[in-house]
Amino acid sequence: MSNGARRMRGLAALTGIAALGLAACSGGDEAPANGEHDEVTLEFTQWWEPELPDGEFRALIDRFEEENPGITVELLSGPYAATREQVVAGAAAGTMSDVVGLDGAWVNDFAQQGSIADLSQIMSEAGYDDSQILSQVQVDGATYMIPVVNFVYPMFTNDEMLAEAGVDAPPSTRSEFVQAAEQVTALGDNRYGWVLPLSLETPNGIQNDVMSWVWASGGSMLTDAGQPALVDNDAVTSAVEHVQQLWDAGAVAPGAFTMKEQDKVEEFTNERVAMMISSLAHVNLIREQNPDLDFSIAAIPAEDGYTGERGIPFASWGIGISANSEHPQEAWKLVEFLMSESVNAELASMANAFPGNSDSVPDFVSEDELFGAAFEIYQAGYPANEFTGLPVAEQLMRSFSEELQKALDGQQSLVDALQAAQSRWEEEF
Amino acid sequence: MSAVTYPHGATAPRTRPRRLGRRLALLLGLVAGACFSALPVLWMLSSSFKRNSEIFAFPPRLVTENFSFDAYLAILTDPVKLRFFLNSYVIALSVTLLTLVVAVHAAYAFSRYDFWGKKVINVIVVSVQAVPPITLLIPYFGLMVALGLYNTYPGLIFTYMVFTLPYAIIMMTGYFNTLPRELDEAVRVDGAGAMTALWRILVPISVPGLVSVGVYTFMIAWNEFLFALTLTRTEDMRTVPIGIQLLMGQHSYDWNQMMAMSILGCIPVLALFLFFQRYFISGMTAGAVKI
Amino acid sequence: MTTTQPDAGTRPTPAASGRSRSMSRLRQRLAPYGFLSPTGVLLAVLMVTPILMVIWYSLFDRAITRPSTQLVGFDNYLEVLSDDVFWVAVRNTLVFTSSSVIAHFVLGLAFALMLNSELLSPRTRAAFRVLYILPWLFTVAITAVLWRLILNPNGVVNYLLGVLGLGSGQVEWLSSPSTALAAVTFINIWSGYPFFMVSLLAGLQGIPKDLYEAATVDGAGPWQRFVNVTIPHLWPIILSMALLDFIWTTQQFALIWMTTGGGPINATEMLSTFIYKIAFTEYDFSVASAAAVIVLLLSMVMAVFYVRHQKARN
Repeated sequence: MSNGARRMRGLAALTGIAALGLAACSGGDEAPANGEHDEVTLEFTQWWEPELPDGEFRALIDRFEEENPGITVELLSGPYAATREQVVAGAAAGTMSDVVGLDGAWVNDFAQQGSIADLSQIMSEAGYDDSQILSQVQVDGATYMIPVVNFVYPMFTNDEMLAEAGVDAPPSTRSEFVQAAEQVTALGDNRYGWVLPLSLETPNGIQNDVMSWVWASGGSMLTDAGQPALVDNDAVTSAVEHVQQLWDAGAVAPGAFTMKEQDKVEEFTNERVAMMISSLAHVNLIREQNPDLDFSIAAIPAEDGYTGERGIPFASWGIGISANSEHPQEAWKLVEFLMSESVNAELASMANAFPGNSDSVPDFVSEDELFGAAFEIYQAGYPANEFTGLPVAEQLMRSFSEELQKALDGQQSLVDALQAAQSRWEEEF
Repeated sequence: MSAVTYPHGATAPRTRPRRLGRRLALLLGLVAGACFSALPVLWMLSSSFKRNSEIFAFPPRLVTENFSFDAYLAILTDPVKLRFFLNSYVIALSVTLLTLVVAVHAAYAFSRYDFWGKKVINVIVVSVQAVPPITLLIPYFGLMVALGLYNTYPGLIFTYMVFTLPYAIIMMTGYFNTLPRELDEAVRVDGAGAMTALWRILVPISVPGLVSVGVYTFMIAWNEFLFALTLTRTEDMRTVPIGIQLLMGQHSYDWNQMMAMSILGCIPVLALFLFFQRYFISGMTAGAVKI
Repeated sequence: MTTTQPDAGTRPTPAASGRSRSMSRLRQRLAPYGFLSPTGVLLAVLMVTPILMVIWYSLFDRAITRPSTQLVGFDNYLEVLSDDVFWVAVRNTLVFTSSSVIAHFVLGLAFALMLNSELLSPRTRAAFRVLYILPWLFTVAITAVLWRLILNPNGVVNYLLGVLGLGSGQVEWLSSPSTALAAVTFINIWSGYPFFMVSLLAGLQGIPKDLYEAATVDGAGPWQRFVNVTIPHLWPIILSMALLDFIWTTQQFALIWMTTGGGPINATEMLSTFIYKIAFTEYDFSVASAAAVIVLLLSMVMAVFYVRHQKARN
């Protein structure tokens, strides 16, 4: 028999196997088969472990294993930037782990793919009282992700630089902000008032640094029905004009179009920028890298004359369960554990984030002045991130960023930019 | 610098001043090229000795006052990271050896035989690399899972072989094509098989080609990230590029450790290269066969 | 040294009887397939199968990301070809790839010639060889991060330009729509030239010295020797490498993604980033697969030309 014919048969057989392997997405799990009912191994894919102090997350999980004999948890850590692709690929190939760390921006799409489980159902089956959970991310009325800890994004100000520029206190209204930014930039010597990361690779700058202005003044970028509302929306228009004003005044640090969040923090830490909207997770980082930096935390300035509650943007470490997990009950136990009052507080302290359990209070709140201040702002306002749960949320941010970049670059007017963004968003809804 | 032998044995003294001028020009060119290629690496090296806070400082400094080996120590004392290095080397070396062996056979077929489907197979071999890996990722991943190669050394090794074989085959075919058929046919006439002709005659002469293909293959396997990440699950199978990206966190990057890991990774590779590069100048075919 | 036609069949071994002659002829006919079988199996299983699956996906609607899909034929292809951004990506990719390949070739050849020169001692050449191969040693993530640091508005390059008085000091190399594509191309040239250099260096070893001797005797100067001896000999290698480099550079994704993300605006949008975004941020694998197949077809056209050219040469 010729090699050619042999190869053909082999190819056909393998294609068949591959097709079957992909089609039978249910339960093609890589976890070792569990014969007895008692011994269960859960896999937990996340990017949290490398970001937390060495060994602490594992210790927390070990406690879970002690409290739940018969369940072992295998932590699979991967780089954050690649997590989403890995989850999609894992879901498609049937190797997704039982429990997955999720970002709010991915939920809608994973729910549509059918890769993550309906948590509302699991919760009701387990008889779980979800009143303690601060927020749940839902699609079509069912919960798919629970934020475990929330990283809020208040405004950081370099008080020393502000004082040098003649600004006594962190600005609390937009016009104060503009004035402060201009005064700082007037200092010269490579110093700027504000920093705006508009990178298209990770476009969360739109969420944290642009739309946050809308939410800080109680506005919304969506209609009541959850549809995009970027045109004829005063809140959005004024926020974007505010950004344009800062840009035209030259108060924004250079490199904005490809700047990422990590670079933004470095600019602040190196005292080249006086004010930034950033995650609380950076507080300790700034302290470590520049102990002499005199900075404080304040609420994002609102529109002049606004006295209502201020929305504060946040990003979460969310958790979900794979739709094809062989052990949904045990997986839920892990979620429950991480959401329980004391554990959640501990995890929040480890991560320098705010707890997803409404009763938890992380210890840094009472121990640390800055965090205490942030917690007060958090409680005085409301967490606001309208991108969570939207379809292709990251792409929405990206298309908005592209249109905004065109406007800032002078290629189109703001009105046109908003219009273009609106039509691009409507395509996705 | 040792004395240079002039190939023709021509009289050196007459041309010495011109040779000196040319040597100087050459050195200048080499130094300029070295600046282009090595200065960024110098920056990488300098960053690995800095504290994270100094990486973005302005004005930038080559050596800062907080010069320390902390980043290197952090990596060298972490067994997880050391395992990444081990995995990378094992996989890259295996891929290199296997690719060379397989490619040499295929190149022999393309170079010395004419057969049905030769052109078609040639086109396929070249153009299979044209599909963007990111679209191949999911079907490929499903395939590997179905074959039971998920999270194994062979999984990654075969994957990288698929990436490197086309170039290896083309290069070795080109090499064999420049070697006259009389060489191996002489051996065949004496009754030796095709394999003997290949391994006893052609391969030893093609050493520079083999080394260049080997170097290229090693680099591809060494630096690849996407499939390494997707096809491995546990820390004990992951490779250096993944280790580096694990240091790129959601909130901040561990700049100095990233640079240090990169430098540490490439030192043994450079050593290997230094060892093998003598074969670049063996010039074995030069004048070896005169017809 | 003359090269004989490699396409002529091998001389048949002397056989005693007719039957053994046809047996050995059959074995000879099958021999090349035997030599090709490891390659064939590997590529067929691990490359052709996924590619067929990609083509399969491209004919459906929203494969993978929706539980139920349906056959839509060539709709996805039309969607790709009618997208303006696709054509921007094509243009950028052509510019990026052509410049990279040409620069890789020029630099690779220049360095290879310098490193091959007899004017310097082997030790000097070895030292420079090591320096020249450095860009190849690093994974894309590090190259991207490193160059982002170097080209940062407050990075080394701007600092040096300022010190030397050559620039305003705050050029946004990667963030400005006017310089981003050039900057990214430069980074790609830096990280990829060793491929040409190493292959050409090996190729240079294969040129017999007596050809140069003969040329010198005929009165040819260095440039003529280069054009008439070196280039013709290296030409097959150069062509293969140019083709392969072209194909690989069109696949270059991570470098662009990690330095500029396809931005600013879409100044560095390439086919690879375009496809990635469709696949993993719009979760539309079918359209992404369609785009991938289009790229494959374009490359196949080039591959066919290349193979024809090789045949003609031989």
